[in-house]
Amino acid sequence: MKYFAALHAGFSRALRGRPGAALAAGAAILASLAAGTAQAEPQGLLETIHKQTTLSSTVPDNGDQNPYALAVSPLTAGKVQQNDVLIDNFNNATNLQGVGTTIVDFNPSTQKLTLFASVPHDLKECPGGVGLSTAMTILKSGWVIVGSTPSNDGTTGTKGAGCLLVFDMEGKLATVFSSENINDPWGNMAVVDNGQSATLFVSNSGFGVGGAEAVEPPVFKQATVLRIELAIDPGKPPVVKNETVVASGFSERADKGVFLIGPTGLALGKDGTLYVSDAIGNRISQIDDALTRDTSAGVGRTLTADGLLQRPLAMVMTPAGHLLVTNGLNGKVVEIDPATGRQIYARWIDTDKAQSPPGNGDLFGIVMTPEGDGFYYVEDDMNTLVIAK
Amino acid sequence: MNAPKPPDEPVSGEGPGALTRRGFLKAGGLAAAAGAGLGAAGLAQAALDKGKPPAAPAASMAKAARKAEPFFGEHQAGIATPQQTHTYFAAFDITTNDRADVIALLKTWTEASARLTQGDTAQPLDLNPAAVAQPAAPADDAVLGGMSTLDDAAPVAANNASGGRHAAVVTNAAVGAGAAGGDTVTASQAASAGNAAAGVDAASAAGADSAAGKVRAAAAIDSPASGTAGNDGYAPAAAPAYSAAPFEDSGEALGLDTARLTLTFGFGPSLFTRDGVDRFGLAARRPDALVDLPRFNGDQLVKDKSGGDLCVQACADDPQVAFHAVRQLARLAQGKAAIRWVQAGFLSMPADGGTPRNLMGFKDGTNNPPIRNAAAMDKLIWAGAEGPAWMRGGTYTVFRRIRITLEHWDNTEVGFQEAVFGRHKYSGAPLGKQKEFDPVDLAANDAHGNPTIPDNSHVRLSNQASNNGAQILRRSYSYNDGVNFYAERWPPWRQELEYDAGLLFVAHQRDPRTAFIPINHRLAASDLMNQFTTHVGSAVFACPPGAKPGSFIGAGLFEA
Repeated sequence: MKYFAALHAGFSRALRGRPGAALAAGAAILASLAAGTAQAEPQGLLETIHKQTTLSSTVPDNGDQNPYALAVSPLTAGKVQQNDVLIDNFNNATNLQGVGTTIVDFNPSTQKLTLFASVPHDLKECPGGVGLSTAMTILKSGWVIVGSTPSNDGTTGTKGAGCLLVFDMEGKLATVFSSENINDPWGNMAVVDNGQSATLFVSNSGFGVGGAEAVEPPVFKQATVLRIELAIDPGKPPVVKNETVVASGFSERADKGVFLIGPTGLALGKDGTLYVSDAIGNRISQIDDALTRDTSAGVGRTLTADGLLQRPLAMVMTPAGHLLVTNGLNGKVVEIDPATGRQIYARWIDTDKAQSPPGNGDLFGIVMTPEGDGFYYVEDDMNTLVIAK
Repeated sequence: MNAPKPPDEPVSGEGPGALTRRGFLKAGGLAAAAGAGLGAAGLAQAALDKGKPPAAPAASMAKAARKAEPFFGEHQAGIATPQQTHTYFAAFDITTNDRADVIALLKTWTEASARLTQGDTAQPLDLNPAAVAQPAAPADDAVLGGMSTLDDAAPVAANNASGGRHAAVVTNAAVGAGAAGGDTVTASQAASAGNAAAGVDAASAAGADSAAGKVRAAAAIDSPASGTAGNDGYAPAAAPAYSAAPFEDSGEALGLDTARLTLTFGFGPSLFTRDGVDRFGLAARRPDALVDLPRFNGDQLVKDKSGGDLCVQACADDPQVAFHAVRQLARLAQGKAAIRWVQAGFLSMPADGGTPRNLMGFKDGTNNPPIRNAAAMDKLIWAGAEGPAWMRGGTYTVFRRIRITLEHWDNTEVGFQEAVFGRHKYSGAPLGKQKEFDPVDLAANDAHGNPTIPDNSHVRLSNQASNNGAQILRRSYSYNDGVNFYAERWPPWRQELEYDAGLLFVAHQRDPRTAFIPINHRLAASDLMNQFTTHVGSAVFACPPGAKPGSFIGAGLFEA
């Protein structure tokens, strides 16, 4: 029981002002652990998490809200120190979605938040303008690539196709990628970064999607996963060499509350299998040979569905090769062993009872710490960056 | 600039005439005052005693001033005054560029406020309007009532001779800037009669019936049209202008208790400079502490609910009395200042005299500085020698219109609500304590080492111990303005008709730079309550010290 007591204490500390959730969430963990023995080796990462700490507000001076993407810098260059966390914002100061234009930089050493980049919302090079999404990465070569899923009025009724924006490490816009294959790059990217070349996987959730006026906006099965191969010459911005749709036919729809629902999380296994969180299908799909295939695998094969999943969003892979996926409809992160498809357990990392169930709608981006001993995530309810480890 | 003249009337309620009038009216009421003339005689005598022209045949229909707060004093009332149950707040923009107009307005407001807070009408009432009508007036005037005609010759003398109503009219003319604002009817009637272009330095009786109704118009043809240029704006007898006053007081507070009415005035940053322009020669006198409030995280400020050159906060135990007071002052400001935004508020007091609750159901104001502790008030609330002399004894007041998503709040558990506040809902005690006034122990931990009062709870973030000892005197009111369509800022982002209700947050302090601003920065960044609250209006005002009898609110600001 000593083990549990420590875990419980760690969890309770993590509540950060939401003690009312302790019992319910504690019970959930107990139930999750009941299957194994208390003294066993950790089955995964989540049970090793002892503390959650709110690190910073993510709101820059211009008031942008709703943090979405997270990326940890692999290098020190320009405004950014190695291991800094970049966070982008999807909403503007009036909290309209799809019009956020800022990326902030949190330095874990100084605990300071600074503005990394800001672009005009009406950037001509990006079809429909700029509303920064959950797609963001920092390449070793010193380029920050971030998706735009733009709107003009905060609804999908005015959304554009968007683009991928490329910034240098000073936060200056260097180039913009747009093409017929890019339509609202929405979820977090999976990336293979080889220095002078890189491969990005981007989920596109905008094809065919219109306004959200209907009581139940129609579901379109047109979302894709696009593989983008980049060539990066020293000192020059990346250039797109190839675009390949490796998956297609995922469900997507407009939503009054959360703007878009579609495939969101992407994570790449060591064997080249790409895992895709299918938010509407409430499942994790796997796309075989994602790095090499030259045709679409359709919606792939289902790795796991339902169970602990509640609208799976952003996804990341742990050092042990497990998937961590944030739930959109509660404040939980679910750990999955992709080798077996087993949902190992879930942890309630956002227990904010301002939402029902607690944390509903609060989670989105997630990224591993550089050490791999925990993860950063954002809380949309409070516009904060949190670390769990 | 001319030296300000003292108000014509004893306005403090301290003079013998005033006491006589009030005592009489209390005893005899309206009918006796109108009929017998005993009160009128007494009043006339009182006015004569002060060396003034006779003011009125019957000046006032005072409310019974059973519960009156003093108007004059070291500090303005309505700040440290035990809180009344209702407020009507109004921010004004000044519509003149003439410094003398501003002074005149403040004098008029002072005079009216001193009357209103003591249970009088804003201006002396004419209780016998029929006697005012000129004998030459056609019969239909009497039917219509309310409008008077004026002889071509010696209009000022005629006014004075006809008594209080016209005295009030002249005062109003000075206040109302001639043909502008509420006097427009008169001016247009004059124009229709062809007199406006004549430019004669006398009032003329308009001979034509107006299209709007058969009223006789008297027009002020005095030049310049504003009627106030070139003097200090407060010399009614010197201004040979005439305009019809629609009424001296709208009357809806007649017979009501004074209800502890207080009227508190403040000067906004834009009084000193607006868009970089020093309209009134006051820029150099702006206190350092009167800063423009910075943007706070989550602010969704609406321009139409923010700012203001001047403010009037009426507080009373009767909403009709509070609104009545602002309504009179707004009318008296015509031509000089116009309402920019208003907010009514309420705060129902528990029967046991305990701390009142806000719309979230929690006690609000428990941890306020002690208003009866002069030393604490001097330290925390009243401006001292660190700023300009004209503000000494005043305070700096922040108003924030904070919408609360009550629908969202009402769907959360009480235990969670308590975590948000850091207090128990029903007792008001800090979390972990039993009684409302038990000290807030921010160091207390539970058995697992977690803070008993959560890190991002409202009490912890706003507590003086978390803010270098900074404290504010909160004197807030709830508001409820019906429903509007809202898209919530928080998951799950409901979009529907919701209450436009919340809190008119009012905070007094010695210096916002070390009080409201740092406290609210912490709250805006981290307060769990932010998931339910949105700041949609904001204003800051320098509320000068109380006026002395014979002087006016803010007089020190305008002294050379």
